[in-house]
Amino acid sequence: MNTVIDAHQVSKTFNPTTIPILAVNNVHLHLERGEFTALVGPSGSGKTTLLNLLGGLDKPDKGSIFINGVDITKLSPNALIDFRLNNIGFVFQSFNLIPVLTARENVELIMQLQHKDRREINERVETLFREIGLEDKLDTRPAQLSGGQQQRVAVARALASKPQFVLADEPTANLDSKSATNLLDIMAKLNQEENITFIFSTHDVRVIERARRVITLVDGQIHSDTAKVSTEVPHTAQKRTP
Amino acid sequence: MNLKLAWRNVWRNKTRSLIIMASVAIGLLAGIFVLGLYQGMMRSRVRTVIDTEVAHLQIHHKEFKEDYDPSYTLDQELISKNLKKISEIKSFANRSVTQGMLATTTGTSGVRIYGIQPKEEIEVSQLAFKIKEGEVLNPSKKNGILIGKKLADKMKLKLGSKLVLTFTDRESSVTSGAFRVNGIYQTINTPLDEVIVYINRSTLNEYLGLEDTSHEIAILLHRDEDLELVKNSLQAQFPRYSVMTWKENSPETDLMVGTINQYSTIIIIIIMIALAFGIINTMLMSVIERTREIGMLSALGMNRKKVFALILTETVILTFVGVPVGFILSWFSILYFSKAGIDISPFSEEAMSSFGFTSIIYPEFPVDTMGSVLIIVISTALISAFFPSLKAIRLQPADALRQ
Repeated sequence: MNTVIDAHQVSKTFNPTTIPILAVNNVHLHLERGEFTALVGPSGSGKTTLLNLLGGLDKPDKGSIFINGVDITKLSPNALIDFRLNNIGFVFQSFNLIPVLTARENVELIMQLQHKDRREINERVETLFREIGLEDKLDTRPAQLSGGQQQRVAVARALASKPQFVLADEPTANLDSKSATNLLDIMAKLNQEENITFIFSTHDVRVIERARRVITLVDGQIHSDTAKVSTEVPHTAQKRTP
Repeated sequence: MNLKLAWRNVWRNKTRSLIIMASVAIGLLAGIFVLGLYQGMMRSRVRTVIDTEVAHLQIHHKEFKEDYDPSYTLDQELISKNLKKISEIKSFANRSVTQGMLATTTGTSGVRIYGIQPKEEIEVSQLAFKIKEGEVLNPSKKNGILIGKKLADKMKLKLGSKLVLTFTDRESSVTSGAFRVNGIYQTINTPLDEVIVYINRSTLNEYLGLEDTSHEIAILLHRDEDLELVKNSLQAQFPRYSVMTWKENSPETDLMVGTINQYSTIIIIIIMIALAFGIINTMLMSVIERTREIGMLSALGMNRKKVFALILTETVILTFVGVPVGFILSWFSILYFSKAGIDISPFSEEAMSSFGFTSIIYPEFPVDTMGSVLIIVISTALISAFFPSLKAIRLQPADALRQ
C-alpha cells in the first residue's frame, strides 16, 4: 500500500472575526491507497468541512495536507483546480449533475476538461456506464433518471478522470434503501477490483457497516479511528437497480 | 462542449431568454430605424441642396463671395467652352448675383438677386418645378421677377404686383429698378424663399453696368461620386477662380450630415446601454441561480478561464440571437417606409422646412454604418458578460456548494 492522503494538524475556523466556529480542530489523518473509509459523527462535527479540506475545496487555517506527496495547501487557486481535476473525484449528496447535459455528456465533460482524445473518452464512458449498469441511459438527461441512477452517474463522473481517490459527501442521504445498497455495491466493487480509494462522510449505517475503516469526528476532532479486521468488502447485492 | 453547454444553459429559462432576445431585436430595430430615418433625411437634404440650391459645383471670382462686388466677374465664354468638353458635367448655368433691397408700399426686405437665363437655369436648379403661381421668367419681359412664397406672404405681394429693387452697380453707385411679379416659387427651404429673387440676367447686368458676363457658374454633374475629380480638374484649369463644392457652398448641410451621423451613433449607444442592463440583470440572475452548479464545476476541475468563457459565451449567445432578428425586422420596416414614406407634416412641417428638410421622410437602410452598429452590439455583449462572468469566477467552490 502507498499513502494517498497525509494530513497534519489540520484546523479550520469559520467566522474567525465574528463568532468563531472551530469546524476542524487539529486533525491528523493518514489514508492508504485502496481504503474504503467512512467519516462519521453527529451533525456539525466537521465531516463535510474535513472532506472539503481533503478535496482542496477549502483551505485550512493551520496544518498541511499532502495528496500523493503534494502539499495542496501551498498550491495556487488555479493549480489547485488542475490538481483536483486530475487527482480527486467528488460525489455530492444531491448528485449535482448538470441538468442540461445527458448522462454521457456529464461524464464526458470531466475528460474534455482534461483534454482527452475522443476515442479515449468514448472507451472510458462505455466502461464506466457498464460498471454502473446504466449502458441504456447514456443519452438520458438527469431529470429523466431516478435518484439512484443519478448518483450512479455522479460516481461515473467522479471516476472519469481516473482520480487518486473519491470523496463522497453523504452519497446515500437522498436515496431509498434499494438505490443506496445498489450504489454501495458499485463503489465497493470498484474499490475491490480497481483498488480505488473511497472516503465517505455519512450518517448511514449501511455505509458504516460496509466501510473497512470508520473515523468518528466529534467537535471537529477525531474521536475514534477504527479499522475492521476483515479485508473483504461486504457485497450484499449483486443485482443492480435500473 | 463549452458552446453546447452555454447554448443549453441559455434555454433553461426560455421565457426570460426570449424576453432578452426580443429586447435586443427591438432595440436594434429602433436604433437602425432611427439611423435609416436620419440617413433618409440627410440624403434628401443633400439632394435638395445639390439639385435645387447650389448644384454640385460653383465657380466664382476668388474674392466675389467676400462682399459680392459686381466687378468680380468671370470669363464666362472661356469657362463655358471648357465645361462643355467635360463629360462628367450634366449641365451648367451662368448667373449674375448681387445683394440689395426689395421695397413695396408695405415695407422693405433684404434680398439676394440672381440674374439668370431661364432656359439653362431650369436644367440646373429645377426652377420650373418650384413655380407655384405664374410662370418662369420670360427673356422678353425685362422687368419680370420671380419671388419666393415666403417673401410674397411677408411683403403681401401677388402675381403682377409692383416692387422696386435697389442695389449698387459696379461703380458703387446706388441704382434701382422697378419690377413686376411674374411668378411665385416655393421650395422646401423657407429661409431661402424669403431672400432669393430671380430676374433676367441681361436686365441685372444692365443695371450693374456689366457686359454679357456672370459672377457665378453653377455646375450639375451626372454622378455625385465625380465631385472631387471634376473640382480638381476645374481648379487646375482655372487657377484664377475659386471652384467650390456643395459642401463648401452649403457648409451647414455638410455639418448636419456629419453631426447627424454622430447623433445616430449616440442614440444606438444609449439604446444598447439600456439593453446591457437588461442582459446583465438576466445573466446575474442566471449565475446566482446556478451558484451551486458553478461551484460544483469548479470543484470538479473547470478552471476560472473556462467558467469565465462559459458565462461569456452564454451572454454572447443571448445577445446575438436577437441581432439577426433585429436586422431583418429593421430591413423590412425600412424597405416598406422607404417606398411609403413617413409624413411628419402634422407635427413639424414648419420646423422641418425652416431647416430645409421635407416633411415626408423616406428612410434608407444605413449600410455604411452597419459596421459601427455591429461593433457597438459586440461591445454591449462583451461588457454585459463581464460582470456576471466575474461573479461566477469569484465563487469559492466550498461556499457555492454549501448554498
